[in-house]
Amino acid sequence: MNHKTTLARILGTTVALAAMIALFAGCAALQPAEKPKALTPTDRGTVLFLDKYEFKRPPQNWALMKNLEGGDFELGFLVIEKGSFPSQTTFMFDEEPYGGSRDLENRAKYYCTRFLFNSGIDLRVTQTEKTQINGLDSVAISMEGENPSRDEKAKSKVYLVKKGNRIVSFVCTMWRPMNGTYAQEPFDYFETFVQSFKFLKKDFYENFEDELKKAGL
Amino acid sequence: MEAHNRDLYLYKRLSTQVLGVSMDDPITLKHFAESLQLEFPIISNVLPWMGMAYGAYRDKPPFLPDGTPNWFGRRTVIVDKKGIIRFIKDGSPDNKEILKFLLNLEKEFRGKK
Repeated sequence: MNHKTTLARILGTTVALAAMIALFAGCAALQPAEKPKALTPTDRGTVLFLDKYEFKRPPQNWALMKNLEGGDFELGFLVIEKGSFPSQTTFMFDEEPYGGSRDLENRAKYYCTRFLFNSGIDLRVTQTEKTQINGLDSVAISMEGENPSRDEKAKSKVYLVKKGNRIVSFVCTMWRPMNGTYAQEPFDYFETFVQSFKFLKKDFYENFEDELKKAGL
Repeated sequence: MEAHNRDLYLYKRLSTQVLGVSMDDPITLKHFAESLQLEFPIISNVLPWMGMAYGAYRDKPPFLPDGTPNWFGRRTVIVDKKGIIRFIKDGSPDNKEILKFLLNLEKEFRGKK
């Protein structure tokens, strides 16, 4: 171990910490600390998510998952359930589901080849149907599968929804050990979430297309 | 790659052509492009001249001491209509940032016409 290098690292960390503390202290003096809430309840029995979406949330024991730095989903909920690992259910809204096709049926076919691919679950589609979500054309896909070598199985419901020129998705996945039983209640919460979901603002792509039109493109 | 595929209809409106560059061989890339249903060309650059030209090595040498090509990193480069490099960014591409940049570039180009 090079002591000089270690000392320099410690000093570097100290300087950085000091700068950060000073910065936070400055902020604290100017603004009383009040964290903006991600979910704001309405008198309609729904919640607002950052003024972007409105929906009925699942019970309080479901934890909110939000994406702070971009990634696979926009927002979602998670509950750890009774039973041995991996007894849990997640559902989420995703602005950019797998695939590039803007045709719902083509996108659905491709989506099923990628969904849960990395989990090693041997997934099969049990039902596909055309439907409408809040007046928007969509495809509902039900899937189930197992991975006996990891003692895991999963059951999923996916809605691919045509929103303007793009496709967005709502996804619910319930995980269980191989000998576990699936429950219906979490899927009911998911259905309520999806059916109540409202877009309160134009998204990036809708705004971008407006800008393209303005620019004559 | 999938994100670029999703945004192709917007790139078209911005007079932009997407090209993927990889050091994999053409057969591998054909399978890769088919499996992801990519609708833009992928260039096979086994001897990594494009990687060298566009500075995709950063701290690594383009060739190892025994002469075999080193792998280049993930880099997004935007070249304008005059062939001038206008944007370079390493790591996973931020498509929203790229679209905004292309819109400004197109506005700039039209303004000069």
